[in-house]
Amino acid sequence: MGAVHLAYEVVDSQLVDRHEQKIGRVDALLLEAEPGKPLRVATIVIGAAARARRVGGWFAATRRALRALAGIRAEHESRIPFSAVRRIGDTIQLDVEERALESEHFERWLGDHVICRIPGASGASK
Amino acid sequence: MKKWGEIALGVVTSIGGFLEVGSIATSVQGGAIFHFQLAWVLVLGTASLAFLMEMTGRLAAVSRRTYADLLRERFGYRFFVVPLLAVFIVSLLVLTSEIGGVAIALQLATGIAFRWWAIPIALIGWLLLWRGTFSIVEQGTAMLGLVALTFAVGAVKLHPDWGTLGRALLPSTPSRDSARYWYIAVSMLGASISPYLYLFYSAGAIEDAWTIEYLSVNRITAGLGNLFGGGLAIAALVTAALVFEPRGIQVDRYEQIALVLATPLGRAGLVLFIATLCITCFGSTLEIALAIAYLLAQGFGWQWSENLKPGKDARFSTSYTVLIVLAAVPIALGADPLQLTNLSMVVTAASLPVTVIPLLVLMNDGDVLDTHVNGWISNTALVVIALLSVVLLVAALPLQLLGGG
Repeated sequence: MGAVHLAYEVVDSQLVDRHEQKIGRVDALLLEAEPGKPLRVATIVIGAAARARRVGGWFAATRRALRALAGIRAEHESRIPFSAVRRIGDTIQLDVEERALESEHFERWLGDHVICRIPGASGASK
Repeated sequence: MKKWGEIALGVVTSIGGFLEVGSIATSVQGGAIFHFQLAWVLVLGTASLAFLMEMTGRLAAVSRRTYADLLRERFGYRFFVVPLLAVFIVSLLVLTSEIGGVAIALQLATGIAFRWWAIPIALIGWLLLWRGTFSIVEQGTAMLGLVALTFAVGAVKLHPDWGTLGRALLPSTPSRDSARYWYIAVSMLGASISPYLYLFYSAGAIEDAWTIEYLSVNRITAGLGNLFGGGLAIAALVTAALVFEPRGIQVDRYEQIALVLATPLGRAGLVLFIATLCITCFGSTLEIALAIAYLLAQGFGWQWSENLKPGKDARFSTSYTVLIVLAAVPIALGADPLQLTNLSMVVTAASLPVTVIPLLVLMNDGDVLDTHVNGWISNTALVVIALLSVVLLVAALPLQLLGGG
């Protein structure tokens, strides 16, 4: 696919899983530094903490403080190796399963504990 | 053939979708105080909305992304939080006003105080979103919304002076009470150009799987639909001008607005007004709840579609569920629907720069639109709308203090 402009074509792009299900957007990209090897783009991050840092250090700090006050610990973040990228186009497809992603924790929790208890929530189509 | 069907449907949707609590309330108040003089504001607002809808529709058809998608993708998350917050807050206020509109209509119909209706309205609206598909929401509210044509009948039956009306389509300054005049002008613009309208429209283009083939459908829908919709808003203003202005009645309660069609149409007029208020506000309630849920889902990249079972897009369906109930709370607590409507229209007007100015950038981005970028006519219009939006932002607060209430 030639050269890929990370900031322009990858960051903030819509991510989909193997079955084209939407699984969030690219909230951050990480470089990997291994001793004796050059830096390389290694990881796609999906998660609220990474997003908060994009707004600014002050925003991320405020978020951390509020979470500490509320006693929330778990940070449901997904870090997916760049090697899982199957395709970069309108969306970026990753070779992952939506159900297995930590960043989809809230979607699953809502689905299993709230939405599916209300009649008419599940089934093939409307 | 299918395409013409879709055009007809799109036009009907805009007519039914255009007139809602904001345009009814602000147009009637404007007509009651300043006769036809504010009609030009509706022309300006409607033309602006037509351009904005055409552009966000074209954006979606060509790029296969919604406007909210592109706000995040092209401007980055750090910028995206600004329109996200602004549109979220403003649309939630407008959603509350719409629920208030339905509640007032039910109060007028039954005599039971409006606050008792808020939660039942939210629950029925939610049930329709939960069980219904995108086309049910879009087309259902559109077809029933045609009852708003009553305003056109009312206006014509009162035999307006067409010459005076024609002259009022061009801007003029008031001879008296200018703070009030400009305050109403700003709220009328906020009622015409609501961000939820074009966010909903561009998400709808994706729900309906529009492609480049649909660019003509898009242009005709945005143009003709708004022509009819704006015409109905002018009809409401004209009716109010001929009913209230000669009698010196300044409208400050919904009970007064309800009488606007009783003069030309008698008892049927009252019933038709109540039906119009109830149906158009209820339709807008559904559309705004969806529009905010679309904005959240698209901005954060969640799975979304009104055509999926709620279990398949849990965060999206939870969003509209929580929003519609949350918006009903102030009305249930007895907040005055008309004051709330006026306030939310002015706040809407003030919020426009953050969604209009980025559009100017996107519509000239060849990476997004390829050969379908704006021509000089669209660009001139969009620059004018962007400047107008900045004026509205600066003027909104002083006018709220000087001319509001």
